[in-house]
Amino acid sequence: MYRTLVLAALAGMIAGPALAAGGSCSTAPKSQFKPKATLEAQLTGEGLTVRQIKVEKGCYEVYAVDKAGKKVNLAYNAETLEKLDNAEAGEN
Amino acid sequence: MVRVWDRAVRSFHWALVLSFVTAWLTSHSSEDIHHWADYTAAALVAMRLLWGVLGTPYARFSQFVRDPATVLRYFSAILSGREARYIGHNPAGGAMVVVLIAAMGSTALTGWLMTTDAYFGVSWVETAHSLSAHALLVLVLFHIGGVALASFRHRENLVWAMITGRKRKAEPADIA
Repeated sequence: MYRTLVLAALAGMIAGPALAAGGSCSTAPKSQFKPKATLEAQLTGEGLTVRQIKVEKGCYEVYAVDKAGKKVNLAYNAETLEKLDNAEAGEN
Repeated sequence: MVRVWDRAVRSFHWALVLSFVTAWLTSHSSEDIHHWADYTAAALVAMRLLWGVLGTPYARFSQFVRDPATVLRYFSAILSGREARYIGHNPAGGAMVVVLIAAMGSTALTGWLMTTDAYFGVSWVETAHSLSAHALLVLVLFHIGGVALASFRHRENLVWAMITGRKRKAEPADIA
């Protein structure tokens, strides 16, 4: 029991930062990507005005402004449309 | 030897070289450094514009900016190998100063616009930034070529002159 707890805690310590790093870009071919339009519709529904969506390797990088007119820079896994924490995830 | 380029002109020149190289190397990697290189270049250009009016004689635009016909005549003199040596900028060099400052200014301006709420993610601004940055690179190459050619023709080291500020004094055929 004790050993399981320690192992779970260790696993959490290792996985924690990885999860906090916020996912990664897709490694699948472009044919597997969800359409940009799907992402755009989703973001529009959230109240953003999308200016541009760029394909950065396996990510979509979004350039948008919110309702207050403030710039918003976001990145999504192009295959799952899962939001990433780092807007520059697809670059470099 | 005569004093030609004052300290402000020389500092401006090499600081601008440094900020351009830095901006070029960080355009796809370090956003923070790239932005600071942009602001530095913009500030340098603004200071140079002011110094072009208030500065020492050879720093002033009125001393070296000439009409296009004079510049073209100077180019044809270069082609026939009889172009005069100038103590300040020759007509071609003066024209290069103007286009380099214009290209640097528009690159810095469009780069800054890309970071504002109003123009963030607007594709024509990104295109304009990229075009003016690439145009600037091409102009820099021509600038270096022009400096090399003039140095060779008039047997003086113009790069060294931009470091020390001094040039060989005018001979009878030269234009002071």
